[in-house]
This record gives sequence, C-alpha cells and structure tokens, in this order.
Amino acid sequence: MTGVLVTTINLTAIYALVALGISLTWAGLGFLNLSAGVMYAGAAYGAWLVSTEITTNVVVVLLGGILTGVLFGALICLTVFLPLDSKPNWEIRTLTATLALSFIGVNLYQWKFGPQFKQFEPLFSWLPQFRLGEALVKSTVTGTVIATAVIVTIVLIYLGSSRIGLGVRALTQSVEGAALVGINRRTSAFAILGVSGAFIGLAAVLLGQTFFVEPNSGYVPLIKGLIVALLGGLGSLRGAVIAAFMVALCEALTLQYFGGAWVLVTLFLLISIVLIIRPRGVAGVLETTRA
Amino acid sequence: MTPVLEIKGLEAGYGPLRVLHGIDLTVAEGERVGILGLNGHGKTTMLRAIVDLVDWRQGEILYDGESIMKAPTFALARRGVVLMPQGDALFPGLSIKDNLDSGAYPGGSWRKRKERRDYVCEIFPRLGERLNQVVGTLSGGERRMCSIGRGLMSEARLYLVDEPSLGLGPGIAKGICDTLMALDLQGGALLIAEQNRLLIDGRVDRTLRMHGGELTPDTGEDGVH
Repeated sequence: MTGVLVTTINLTAIYALVALGISLTWAGLGFLNLSAGVMYAGAAYGAWLVSTEITTNVVVVLLGGILTGVLFGALICLTVFLPLDSKPNWEIRTLTATLALSFIGVNLYQWKFGPQFKQFEPLFSWLPQFRLGEALVKSTVTGTVIATAVIVTIVLIYLGSSRIGLGVRALTQSVEGAALVGINRRTSAFAILGVSGAFIGLAAVLLGQTFFVEPNSGYVPLIKGLIVALLGGLGSLRGAVIAAFMVALCEALTLQYFGGAWVLVTLFLLISIVLIIRPRGVAGVLETTRA
Repeated sequence: MTPVLEIKGLEAGYGPLRVLHGIDLTVAEGERVGILGLNGHGKTTMLRAIVDLVDWRQGEILYDGESIMKAPTFALARRGVVLMPQGDALFPGLSIKDNLDSGAYPGGSWRKRKERRDYVCEIFPRLGERLNQVVGTLSGGERRMCSIGRGLMSEARLYLVDEPSLGLGPGIAKGICDTLMALDLQGGALLIAEQNRLLIDGRVDRTLRMHGGELTPDTGEDGVH
C-alpha cells in the first residue's frame, strides 16, 4: 500500500503542474491551450540542452526548463493571444491556433532533434533513497516532490500577495471588473502565460527523469493535464491540485490491483462520476453570486 | 476653467441598436450631477459609453480637456475615471479584502492601499468585520458596499455611479447614497444615474433627465419618483 502512496504523490506533483498551467490560462484568458504539449516537449529539450551543453547542476537545469517554458508562454501570447483577442469566434480560433502551433512544434522538433529519444542525466541522484514501509522511495521521487512543492508554493504566494498576482486573479473572475480597476488584460496575458509555461516547463524536467524526451513526448502530459484541469474545475488552481491527487491515486491503485491496461478505463469512470455529481468540477471557481 | 468632463454629440449603442442620440453634457470641477430617468432610457449606456464599455460610440468625450475616445477602459481607470457599475462587476471568488485592494491597482494607489482600505472600512464597517469573506457569498447590499468601496480605493477624479439603489431596500439604498454624497471630491466630479428621485433630489448640484436616449433639463414632470 505504501508503494501506491509513493506513486500517487509522485504523479500528483507532475499532473498538478501541467494542470495548473492549463487551468491558469483558461481562467485568466479564457482559452484552452492545446499547445501545452509542445510547450512541455520544448521545455524538456531546453533543459536537456542545458544539461548536455552547459552544466548538470540541478538548479540550473530546472531553471533551464522553467525559462524555456516561460519563453514558450510569451511566444503563445504573441502569436495566439494578442492577434486573436476580442475577435469573433475567439474560442474556436484559439483552439485551432494552439492546435496548429502544436503540430508545427512537433515537426520542428523532428527536424531539429530527430526522432531519437533523449535521456536526462539523473538530477537528484545526490538525494538519499529510503524505505517507506515496504516501498523504496527513489531519489527522483523525493526530488520531484520537493522541487514541485517549492516552486508551486513560491508562485502561489506571489499570486496571492503581489499586485500583479491580484491582477491575474482578478482576470480569472471578471474581465470587465478587471478593466474597471485598471488591469490591462493584454499585458497581464504575458504574466499568465509565463507562469503557465513555468509550471509546464518544471513538469517537463521532472517527468524527463523517468521518461525519455522525444518530439511527441508532450501529448500524454497534455491529455493528462486537460483531464486533471477539467476534473478540478477549469479555472480553479486548488481544484487542479485536488484533481491531480485523485487522478494519480486512481492510476496508482489501478496499476497495483488491475494492471496498466485498465488505467484509462478507471480514469474514464472517475471523470464520469465526478462530472455527473459536480459538473463544474471538484472545486470549480465560484462564478456567480448569491441571489 | 477646464471642465472635468465634456461630452459633445455622443451617440452610442449595441450592434445595430442606437441607444444615445446626441448627448451634450459638461461637468465642472467639484460638481455633482444627477441623471434621472426610467429603466431602459440610456442612463447606463451613457456611463458605459464614457468608459468605452459599449459596442460602438460616436461624437466627442473630453476628460480634463483631452479626448478619451480612443482610450481603453483600463487606461481610463488609471487616469482616475472610476465607474461603479450596475451589477457591481466584483470578483465573486475573491475575498472582500482582495476586491477592495483591486480598486487600488493603478500604480500610485497600490502603495497606499492599506490606508485606503481602512478609510473604506470606516465608511462601511460591515466590510471591515469580514475582510476575508468571499464576495460571492455576500448579500446584495453588502456587494454594493464592496463595489462602492472598491471605487473609493483609488485617487479618482471622476466618479460615475450607476443606480446605487438598484435592488436594495430603502434603508440600505439611502445609506449608500448618503455616503456617496458626503464624498470629498477634492476638485473632482461625480455623475450619478438614478431612477429614484428622492435619493438624489436636493443633494446634487443639478439634475438632468434621460429620456429615449436624449438628455434634457429636469422639469420634475417625467414620471420619475
């Protein structure tokens, strides 16, 4: 059982990061970023380049992934958000544009890096391994959980206490209200997509410790991130973390007791049950006021 | 002296619908102007047109002598034009404290947000008692207090208030109007739209009548009570 717990905590950390990135963009700017997968793969390649060309220092490699994610966020802001903001059929256009970016990105990665799998040097091998009950907690898991906890805490404290953070949170609630208090949605978009990119970039480096990096490696995290964000309630950061835990626990239990082939089935059942009971997700943001 | 607000031949509407038909209005420094009119005659559209929250507008709007026809809503808020809208436009999932602080978002006001928040909580003690409560769970009157409080958080020069009494009991509506009328405008101006004449009669410098999208001098014979 402790093995299930360890797997759950590890997966929670990574799914939460991707889902936070997707959920924040949806809440703050109102579009579903289907290029989150290409951001993920780009950040993984960025961090891999840092680790092979510059240094294997853990902080520098993590920063390499995070900063590449931030750059991708700025790129999406420039190529998708700013040109399409306030245009008719905004939702469909942004979906199409981010999907197109996703295809372009994968092909660019194929061209630049080839289809070969890239492997990171272990970043957390200096951390001790230890036993929790009968389960062995590897240094990668410890490193993933610590890095996620530190970065998410820093970002959430920043969002909760700074002027720009208040602007971002206000935008997630009411675009008109935000404009009325002087918040510029177009410049705030850089902050929102930058933070989203940072979360996804960090997830890419951490998951890169377990899985190889290749041009298509962003698709699975994108799908898992979308599932978690939807389950948590699109737009709710707290919900994204809770849903990440639910999905991770569901996967870990299924792996343990039924085998990997059943993961998608149990996940589908979980999503169906939660959305039937709570259509706005586990912790969908309170969008309406009391009558 | 340059008026705070000068509107010349303003026409505005939504899609193919023309709501305002050639509005002319001048509001001087320190002046409180009331706009009386029944529902659906264009009071809200006029206030929203000033801050660029309508589909389209034509004519000229000068703020402190400068045209603001091309200024987006957020830029006007930063320049001291504060709209306290109908429906409040608050952030329902954020706390009262966050909602109030958002009113101090424009650069210079942010550093003074604590003092301004204390000032607002003095005016509306009920807000001060529950700063951490999520705004979506407040009653209509409390939300209106929060909306007006948010408007008071910045150093505004032009207050635009849209029907502060809407949906509120007479006691709360009167209390909120008393607060607005007691505001120290400090050389700024206040434009208040209201359909309840009793709430603003004799408490503003002059009243105008909005009828069918046109602004005319108030004769007191328009069926607005």
